[in-house]
Amino acid sequence: MSSHDVRDMLDLPGDAPRPAKKQKIAAPRPVLKGLAREVQNLSGDNPIAIVPEVTVFKKRRFATRKPAAKWELKPFKNSARNEDSLILRHWRRKTEAPPAPVAEDGNGEPSAPQPASEIEDSTFAKFNVKVQTPKYDDEQYNTKLQSEDWSREETDYLMDLVQEYDLRWPVIWDRYEYEPPTPQMDVDVAVGAIIPAQKVRTMEDMKARYYSIAATMMKLNKPPELMNAAEFSLLELMHQFNPNQEAARKKFAEAAFHRTKEEAREEESLLLELKRILARSEKLTQERRELYSRLEAPHSQGNIGVYTSSQGLQQLLQQLMTADKTKKRRSLMGADGMSPAGPSNLHQQGSFDRRDSTNRESMSGPSGNNNKKGPSQGISERRQLTADEEKMYGVKHLDRITSSGPAFRHEKISKPITSKSSIQQQKIGNVLTELRISQRLRMPTEEVGKQFEILLQNINGLLDQRKLADKLAGEINVAKAVKAEREKKGRAERGEPEPGDEDGEGGAGAGDGQIKMEDGGREKSAAPSIRAGSVHKRSASVMSGVSDKSTKRQKK
Amino acid sequence: MAPPNNQKRVKGTQVYRPFVYGTIARLFNDETNPKPPGTPADHTHSWTVFVKGVDDADITYWCKKVQFKLHESIPNPLRMIDDVPPGGAFEVHETGWGEFEITIKLYYVPESLEKPQTLYHHLRLHPYGETEEEKEKMKQRGEVPAVVYEEQLFNEPYENFFEILTSPAPPGKGGKTKVLKGGMVSSVGERTALIPLTNRPGSEFSLETENLLLVEIRRAAADVMKMIEETKEDVVKKEAELAALRGPIQT
Repeated sequence: MSSHDVRDMLDLPGDAPRPAKKQKIAAPRPVLKGLAREVQNLSGDNPIAIVPEVTVFKKRRFATRKPAAKWELKPFKNSARNEDSLILRHWRRKTEAPPAPVAEDGNGEPSAPQPASEIEDSTFAKFNVKVQTPKYDDEQYNTKLQSEDWSREETDYLMDLVQEYDLRWPVIWDRYEYEPPTPQMDVDVAVGAIIPAQKVRTMEDMKARYYSIAATMMKLNKPPELMNAAEFSLLELMHQFNPNQEAARKKFAEAAFHRTKEEAREEESLLLELKRILARSEKLTQERRELYSRLEAPHSQGNIGVYTSSQGLQQLLQQLMTADKTKKRRSLMGADGMSPAGPSNLHQQGSFDRRDSTNRESMSGPSGNNNKKGPSQGISERRQLTADEEKMYGVKHLDRITSSGPAFRHEKISKPITSKSSIQQQKIGNVLTELRISQRLRMPTEEVGKQFEILLQNINGLLDQRKLADKLAGEINVAKAVKAEREKKGRAERGEPEPGDEDGEGGAGAGDGQIKMEDGGREKSAAPSIRAGSVHKRSASVMSGVSDKSTKRQKK
Repeated sequence: MAPPNNQKRVKGTQVYRPFVYGTIARLFNDETNPKPPGTPADHTHSWTVFVKGVDDADITYWCKKVQFKLHESIPNPLRMIDDVPPGGAFEVHETGWGEFEITIKLYYVPESLEKPQTLYHHLRLHPYGETEEEKEKMKQRGEVPAVVYEEQLFNEPYENFFEILTSPAPPGKGGKTKVLKGGMVSSVGERTALIPLTNRPGSEFSLETENLLLVEIRRAAADVMKMIEETKEDVVKKEAELAALRGPIQT
């Protein structure tokens, strides 16, 4: 319906613009090509401005037309077939003959037999790849490959089969018909003689034999150190072949295949049952653990200090009340009236402890409904990981973590060293070098860290002992000197002459001795306390205590 | 970045992830390692510094980017490596003539809310080792590796991050399997802290190596115990000697 129809209905004078409009519509018509006529009519006076653009692709089929390609029927053979007789034909596109062959064509006859002789090989012949089986000579066989179960002949036979059937074990197993060579004997003797029983070889037997030979030959040809990764993994794989396990696997698979429907169903239900039992037990232990942790929750140790004063108590009560109000549940002030003390109080106190400080602060605020989330609940919200998963994801639960955040294991392991003085560090380093242990551990794992800690403790003990030994050595020297001096003095008092070489330097020696005497006196005061403790029976930790004492004394 | 209040740390829990970092340097020569055009004349080596997972395991789900701080003489010494595909390595290739200490800064994924951490690694260009034999061996190989194993510990990670660390990789993202060198198949997206059981050429960090190291450390600890015993005997002897010497003085 267009506007002039409306005008028509309303008896409006609308005839005048009509012819002009018609022309108008006629004009844009060719432009509005992609639009349905009905849609165009909808627009009425105002022609639609936006027209979906339809691009028409004209196929220029005949523009680049070339002469039709020529094809010819060509003979070909397949080199994978052993016999040469079979020659098949297939259509091949005729190759554009370069000018040279044209000339040859001119020659005619002499070139004709040539293409016939070199019949094209099948394109699929390249897929005819032969498996490389290990080859061995007599000496190698005798030194490395002998087996009680397999004779040389049978091994050869197996190798031939493997070569022939390209390692397709089912086929090899099927065709395997080894007959041990019967010794050349008279018939009647042979009847009496023990005919070697023909062994029935399973596929696993054959595989095991073949793999062991292949692996041995591989190793012989190339030492494992020089192998590249692929070769090495192949070698590993062949070494790991376990015929018994393989046989068991097949047996199991077969058994599973022969199961009846009822058996399968029963198994399924049993598995389900097992899973249910396990899940239940897990839940049970978890609940129990939770209960225990609740029971064992220590009464507050540090935080209670705040609440000892009456003011603090008031504050606590206030806190609990606001928390209680926000909870809008079983009021603390229900039956007991104003007494928040009692078990509920204790309980809250306990849960304070297990909560971190930010959480506790939030209790006093209006966001007290955080309370409901105790730590235990927080854990149960989190996915529980099984032991295997924890191992896989490297999750450890530690009693004490000194600082949260990322850290590096090696840094942590070497902390006992790096936190010491540089002299001590050097000493420890020297011991480590002596033990041929690198200070930068090759693999700082957790277990290595533990062991290294033990080692470091030992080393510290050793260093303490050495220090003690050095000190004793010093004291012995002093004591010797003192003794010598005393003797000298004694001799001088008694008027005896100085023995031997000390004769000449009597005066100087006496002066020296005086100083040493003083030294000795000072040392003497230190010495008894060390001796008193019968040090050598003590453990390393006590040792370090003693040495601490002695160092303190030295400082004085 | 201050952690928002609604985030809580998982108390008493530690999660670790093994990774390796280090350098591999190769001497320029015409056949196997020709100098790329534009290299300064005095540069003698090409080298790579990297941070990656053990056995090409994925680390990108906890390590977002790595900044390598090279020597000031190298143009643009601060290199930020970002947007590494799962299972890839954060690495920088450079050429040069001198050894120096590289500062490696690990930035964690934003979910972790953790600050970046720094490692130091000495770039090795020349064969090194305790004995001449080791040096010679390295020379034969044609490259000088200086690779160390490290474990990243996350002490008490935030809950969100803990979730990331302890859940398998999202299946769409990196769950596809990848064939490693040596034809072994490993799934790249597997977020595990486990390390390979045995050594294979090209990756020497495994349980096997760890066990060897453990044996060595235990042996060393036993040696030290023996040394302590010896020293103790020595001490006892010396005490006796001292007592003998002192005796006459005091009486």
